[in-house]
Amino acid sequence: MENNELWRAVLAQMQLHISKANFATWFQNTDITLKDNERVVISVPNAFSKEWLSNKYYKLLLKTMHNMDHTIKDLEFTISPQSFKVSRLENSLESEKNDIEQLKFDEFKINKDTSLNPKYTFENFVVGSFNELAYAAGLAVSENPGHAYNPLFIYGGVGLGKTHLIQAVGNKIADDSRKKKVKYMASEKLVSAIVTAIRSNTMEAFKASLAHIDVLIIDDIQFIAGKNKSQEEFFHVFNSLYEKNKQIILSSDRPPNAIPELEERLRSRLGGGMTIDVSLPDYETRLAILKTKLQEKNLKLPEDILEYIASNVKKNVRELEGALNSLLIYYKTNNNIPNLETAKRLLKGFIFSPFDVANYKKIIEMVSKFYNLEEKNLFDTTRRKEIVKPRQVAMFLLRKELKYSFPAIARKFGGKDHTTVIYAYKKILQESEENSKLTEELNIIKQRIYSG
Amino acid sequence: MKIEIIKENLKNGLSIVERIVGRNTSLPILNNVYINTEDSYLILISTDLETAIKLWILTKIIKKGKVAVPAKLLSNFTSSLPNEKITIEEKNQNLSIECKNITTQIQGCNPDDFPIIPEIKSEEYLEVDVIKFCQGLNQVIDVPAPSQSRPEISGIYFSFSKNNIKMAATDSFRLAEKNIRLEKTIKKEYSFILPQKPAREIMNILEGRQGLLKIGMSQNQALFELTFKEVDRPEIQITSRLIEGEYPNYTEIIPTKFKTQVVIKRDEFLNQIKTASFFSGKVNEVKVLVNPEKKEVQISAKSSDVGHHQSNVAANIQGEVIEVSFNYKYLMDGLQNIKGSEIMFDISKEEGPCLLRPVGDASYLYVVMPIKSI
Repeated sequence: MENNELWRAVLAQMQLHISKANFATWFQNTDITLKDNERVVISVPNAFSKEWLSNKYYKLLLKTMHNMDHTIKDLEFTISPQSFKVSRLENSLESEKNDIEQLKFDEFKINKDTSLNPKYTFENFVVGSFNELAYAAGLAVSENPGHAYNPLFIYGGVGLGKTHLIQAVGNKIADDSRKKKVKYMASEKLVSAIVTAIRSNTMEAFKASLAHIDVLIIDDIQFIAGKNKSQEEFFHVFNSLYEKNKQIILSSDRPPNAIPELEERLRSRLGGGMTIDVSLPDYETRLAILKTKLQEKNLKLPEDILEYIASNVKKNVRELEGALNSLLIYYKTNNNIPNLETAKRLLKGFIFSPFDVANYKKIIEMVSKFYNLEEKNLFDTTRRKEIVKPRQVAMFLLRKELKYSFPAIARKFGGKDHTTVIYAYKKILQESEENSKLTEELNIIKQRIYSG
Repeated sequence: MKIEIIKENLKNGLSIVERIVGRNTSLPILNNVYINTEDSYLILISTDLETAIKLWILTKIIKKGKVAVPAKLLSNFTSSLPNEKITIEEKNQNLSIECKNITTQIQGCNPDDFPIIPEIKSEEYLEVDVIKFCQGLNQVIDVPAPSQSRPEISGIYFSFSKNNIKMAATDSFRLAEKNIRLEKTIKKEYSFILPQKPAREIMNILEGRQGLLKIGMSQNQALFELTFKEVDRPEIQITSRLIEGEYPNYTEIIPTKFKTQVVIKRDEFLNQIKTASFFSGKVNEVKVLVNPEKKEVQISAKSSDVGHHQSNVAANIQGEVIEVSFNYKYLMDGLQNIKGSEIMFDISKEEGPCLLRPVGDASYLYVVMPIKSI
């Protein structure tokens, strides 16, 4: 007989012998946890039940059980406190009550075991053409962790929802009935954990703590670049998890092959599963994101304002939310809905950020930095290959991003002929279409220019 | 059972044990007080299956025995008796009481039905001065809030190490921590989370008493015991269920870097916040503007329905100009818990945690989160 069947049969018999109140008080939340040969271990919710059952009902229980199963000769009681079941609903109710005004200790929002923040879910992740592949991959991984795409590597610019996506995968897996162990770590946490482990000589303990994890999520893995010891340790952790078919999910601001100072063996492993990028959201998606955020905050804003925000705040989702928040605060203090004019005034800061505008100096600076040159090298009259290409890239960007005229660019580069600039522009444009490495380079440079 | 007892002693004892006796309809035996005898002591026991109180009273025991009678009734009845010697006798589970010219019989229950109070086998007992313990507990007791989703922070966290007790409590908006010195150094480190309700009962029961409080614990229970002054024998034992779970690592919350640090007179600050609270509106918001140049703290509040208010308090300030909004209740709770005429009020950053501490007393701290500034 199964343990729980046996216990149900016992309870049915006990009911006949004792009063209803006593039965409800002392037998609530009891169960058989273990049964070996002659001994049965019964779990009870508290010390009172334990005392009572073992002092008052021991004989009756043993007799009843012995009649059902002659091998049982001894009973034991252990206390196993009721774990409080947290329903999602309750959670959301509580947070709703608190509204957004009173601030909480941030540390308390985060799930302690997984370090995941429960606010990131698939349900509030807005999917558009720019991220649907990443979304689909994330969903596939959450349904079949360890087997779909391993490792899953998601990259893209600042504030485009990488963290949201990978935490949503984590949350979904953690909520699953299959009870997978999920661990989320920002890469900085990983590095500092490794450093502490090295210092206190507890590397083995650190590795052991990661060994039983089913899903490891590391955010912003690019920060591991240049930290050789950390890379080495992470490499071993990665390998041991990968061999056991444990899911690994990583995010970064660039693809593995563009992360500088990354050891080759680690680079190849990072790119060994599925590498997907998340790019900038299009207008419709931005609008959809705004609407989702509004719904979360339980507020309404007129359509024309939303359209204005969506068409003017383009660079990242976090800024969209920031723009929205500043309108909401206006709404709260003044108790009326801002009209388009007010919205424009309030959002000036978001739309014309001084850091956001690309300029000539910045392009030159970023290009030379990216190719490890001094700024003045770009202007040298030389045909050395390592200078020619960066120079062409700089010309291309000046034309493309700032809409400089070809002669103006030519003047900037020491009075070259404007046809040289046209040639450079066309060459880079064509090559970037054919050569994905160059496209990637251009993207990174552009991102750095715009992120200041 | 037959005993003779002074009315005051019985009344006092009953008033303590009846505290946790509620109206339990599912198990009526819990409405009773269990009365037993031991040597020359009368023992009173009550429980709500979470907490149990056991109390010894020195009495003249004529005949041993035990009985269970309704606690509230016995307590109320005893209070009404004249201040004389009472003779109590058990007859067929009922209790007959004689006092001067009064004879009464109270119907009881079968004492064998009364729950058995679990014994606590603690490895080690910690000792602390009961007055200090009550005062300290009083400074953190009101902080926790019942939380279904996070039961572990709905209680008070006790952590014992070397010769120190740390008591901490939080409701995720604010946090209080109190340190008390133990009378003797302990060998190991211990910690547990005590639910708020029994913690309050312990505080109320022990308040005004003197001596050493013994604290012991087992896996799911903690024991608080006060012994008789004259003999080495327990006088009151309170056992309570503990909250399972791991208390969050709250030390991470306590800020260590500050933008602005203020030293200010506690009473004045508290009074001004109280005054401003009348104008705080629905969200209980009171603004605190710290101005280092003028050496003053401006407290203001406004509400579209009531009006607005502003006041200034002189203070010693280091750091930058900063404005932070608070729920005045949380700020006042902290200030009221602080004993001392001057307080340190340290602001980490806008919308960051703020730290309140008494000047010259490192044993207490209170961290409070502001309201999102509008």
